[in-house]
Amino acid sequence: MSAKIKKYPGHPLKSAEVREGKVLTSRWKPKAKYMWSAGVAMSRFLNELKKGKIVGTKCNKCGRIMVPPRVFCEQCFKSTDKWTYVKDTGTVNTYSVSFIAGDASRIKEPIIVAIIDLDGASPGMGIQHKISEINWKEVKFGMKVKAVWRPPEERKGTITDIKYFKPI
Amino acid sequence: MSIEKISDPRQIRHWPGHMETDYIYTHGIAGERFFKEIKENGRITGTRCKHCNLVYVPPRIYCERCFEKLEEWIDVGTRGTIQTFTVAYVDIDGSKLKQPMIYAMIKINGTDGGLVHKIDEANPKDVKIGMQVGAVLKPKEERKGSINDIKHFKPTK
Repeated sequence: MSAKIKKYPGHPLKSAEVREGKVLTSRWKPKAKYMWSAGVAMSRFLNELKKGKIVGTKCNKCGRIMVPPRVFCEQCFKSTDKWTYVKDTGTVNTYSVSFIAGDASRIKEPIIVAIIDLDGASPGMGIQHKISEINWKEVKFGMKVKAVWRPPEERKGTITDIKYFKPI
Repeated sequence: MSIEKISDPRQIRHWPGHMETDYIYTHGIAGERFFKEIKENGRITGTRCKHCNLVYVPPRIYCERCFEKLEEWIDVGTRGTIQTFTVAYVDIDGSKLKQPMIYAMIKINGTDGGLVHKIDEANPKDVKIGMQVGAVLKPKEERKGSINDIKHFKPTK
């Protein structure tokens, strides 16, 4: 506001005014399509999920087994050396309980999302996934969990080929 | 030693996605009236600041020099002068156009403003800076309240 202008002219538009064409509008749908390549390491990781296996890579210099796999060891600045399978069991490293869904709507049954350190991989190496078959109040750090896989015919080579992790 | 790489490109995975960034833009108080005048009355309008003696086209509701509220709407006519222009030989995708398109900044005569629009009914070779042009409007029933209600500008004498 200024000395010359005491009040903004006009009024805030209601969505109905726009919907019913009471005001002129310009509309545009940008074609914002993209294709994201998973790369060498993640591609094999996803293809192995389809077979019901979790694969990582090992660096012979630092000895770390990395999951999800990478082709390059970021600590030793060298290529990783071999593919290695890890187990589909692991430990809850950290978790979060969400009472809202992806579209921000409220949900009664919360979604439990956890970082799971997988057995057979180096400490702190693991994947993010959902935890189910447990009351959210009973989830604990350090809890042992196991993957619940989709039946082979339903798998598509995506992270959701594992339905969720359940306590063991 | 390093890990064996994927040699079959079909084994490389990718994700297609689509970002929904649709928008609806409203033209504001001045833009709304400007486009409605074109749509309903076939008139190009501007607003005048009597303090600065400036005519804004497209119209503003405030003078950007003295911040005065502008309430004097005037019909500025449909004639203008080419201030600058460009000739496009490719379309928005980079494909070759059958007919080159002429885009120009047209200063509306008697005002301090102008519009960017197409020049048609002219040979690109004959277009000059300073050339006089006039707006060619769509028939009223085809007008939607957009800048495309003006089909193009064409040379006038």
